[in-house]
Amino acid sequence: MSVVTPVTDGTAPRPGLVRPRPRPRRLFTRRSFTKHGAGGGWPFLVPFLASLLIWVYGPAAATVVLSFLRWNLTSGPPAFAGLTNYRALFADPNFLPAAWQTLLYAAGIIPLGVALPLWLAIALWKRPGRAAFTYRCLLFTPVMLAPVATAISWQFALNPLQGVLHALCDAVGLPTPDVLGDPGTALWGLDLITAGKVIGLNVLLFGAALAAVDPRTVEAARLDGATEGQVTRHVLVPQLRRTAVLLTMLAAVYAGQWSFTNISVLTQGGPVNRTDNVYYLIYVYGFDYFDIGRAAAASVLVVAALGVLLVAGGLLRRRRDARA
Amino acid sequence: MPAPDRRSAFPARLRALGTPASSLVTRPLLRRSLPPQSGGRGAPFDSQGMARAGWHLALAASAAFLLAPTVLAVLASLKPAGDLYDANPLPLHPTLDSYRVAIADFPVVRLLADTVAVAAGVTILQLIVATLAAYALVEGGARAGRLALAAGTVAVLVPAQALIIPQFLLVTHLGWQNTFAGLIVPQLSGCAVPLLLLRQQVRAIPASLTEAATLDGANSWQALWHVVLPVMRPALGAVAILVFAGTWNEYLWPLIAAPGGTPGTIQTGLALFLNTEGANPGPLLAAATLATLPVLAAYGCAARQITNAFMHSGIE
Repeated sequence: MSVVTPVTDGTAPRPGLVRPRPRPRRLFTRRSFTKHGAGGGWPFLVPFLASLLIWVYGPAAATVVLSFLRWNLTSGPPAFAGLTNYRALFADPNFLPAAWQTLLYAAGIIPLGVALPLWLAIALWKRPGRAAFTYRCLLFTPVMLAPVATAISWQFALNPLQGVLHALCDAVGLPTPDVLGDPGTALWGLDLITAGKVIGLNVLLFGAALAAVDPRTVEAARLDGATEGQVTRHVLVPQLRRTAVLLTMLAAVYAGQWSFTNISVLTQGGPVNRTDNVYYLIYVYGFDYFDIGRAAAASVLVVAALGVLLVAGGLLRRRRDARA
Repeated sequence: MPAPDRRSAFPARLRALGTPASSLVTRPLLRRSLPPQSGGRGAPFDSQGMARAGWHLALAASAAFLLAPTVLAVLASLKPAGDLYDANPLPLHPTLDSYRVAIADFPVVRLLADTVAVAAGVTILQLIVATLAAYALVEGGARAGRLALAAGTVAVLVPAQALIIPQFLLVTHLGWQNTFAGLIVPQLSGCAVPLLLLRQQVRAIPASLTEAATLDGANSWQALWHVVLPVMRPALGAVAILVFAGTWNEYLWPLIAAPGGTPGTIQTGLALFLNTEGANPGPLLAAATLATLPVLAAYGCAARQITNAFMHSGIE
């Protein structure tokens, strides 16, 4: 294999390959714009960093400041409020349940949004061809459809009083469940609808990881007489572990945000606040109650909690990888 | 240095050979008649026939489950109001009544055009910014790369809902509410996503390539335009598809930036229509269908490119 000098992109030099050439470290030297371009990448970063500063990091800092202010958009100018907004949040009977339900959304999305796609992707990989391509495209179709349109369709299909679901349940002799109206099931119903958009995407992402699997490992197992189930469990799944862990983390982190559209369109947090999650609550505080301070305080707490979870998850993952 | 980096330095093939597969070879397993080939591509009625049928059944059932609500909605939109909730999902007396109501109140053509404009604007802006940053990863040395990737990764993880209030205040201050500028420019907040996706491609560009260009007298811009961009073009196409699809599906920001719906995206248009016509399911389903069909048509034309773009999006 030919060894090329690896591009330095922030990761440490790779052992076993040629060490990257030392590059000039000076900032904004004249070299940047002369014909010897090496080392003069900084100006090209300016639009990127400015975009993030104006639209991500600036607003993030502003959110922290706003969380210490008492400010109702409809009334007078903002005033310093200390920790009032945070105290109000913990006194709010909606906030802590919403935080718990955010975790439930995350827990519910994993079996449907990660485990099922893993299985589907392996099934598709084992029989490549026109049929597999067609199935992959069909499974992916919901990802491309407008989320609001999909939500409206599900609402129609899940109608408990009349319609196809009602007729099906009647034929089997079961009472029709009111999936989105029953406080006990509404959250899982929304999770299911949200998962519908994640499944197709994750099938493709697992498919990408499978493309890197050496078919000879599977051949060897088959020659040894492994059944298809054993090949899946002992050969393919272990090779997909890294992808699976990553997609699980992503699903857990983003489940609450992905659910936002469905909550907003289908339940607005009801019945009896059982489908609220913190992301929807931030929106309600800010844009229904115009209580900027409280919305900002909730945002700060959510980002802090997310940060703790991500750092803990990252450390766990690193430790496991180090042991593996 | 963490172990995963060291592992990823080896080609995937070698890595795969080191996995439990090799230990499986030594493990005694039930001897069984071998399948003819990896994929089991035997005739439909041989011993593989059952497995093949089960495979089709499982995948078709999964696809049917995911698509059933959409199909039901499209079919129901063609029914007269009285038959809407019939047990039979097929429109036995097809009519366009629902569509007449929907088109009167739901400016689908304008909303689609607005959504295309917003998605295209965001895609172009994000790709320009991300391409320049990606070039900095090639040319800028380790420190610039580390800074850009760290800043981008953290930005991707911050939930959009935590930023909407200051973003909203800024957009209002600029007088951008209910304008295309307000819909498009703030979505630069997502410009780290294309950079992270392009990262793999950038990594594959040998530094010697740009070096050769600079030796030939090209400046940085020329090296970017004539050397790096052509190499990155296939990746840029795929990333453009991803960004376009993501912006197309965006719901939260249009809701904040353009609550009036003019200009508005198909998402917020549908949500507004749901608020006014919620009690009127026929036109609502017709509107949802009108919002769905153009996307399905576009997807049908470019399914291979779109799925490939997602498949090679470079997730590790």
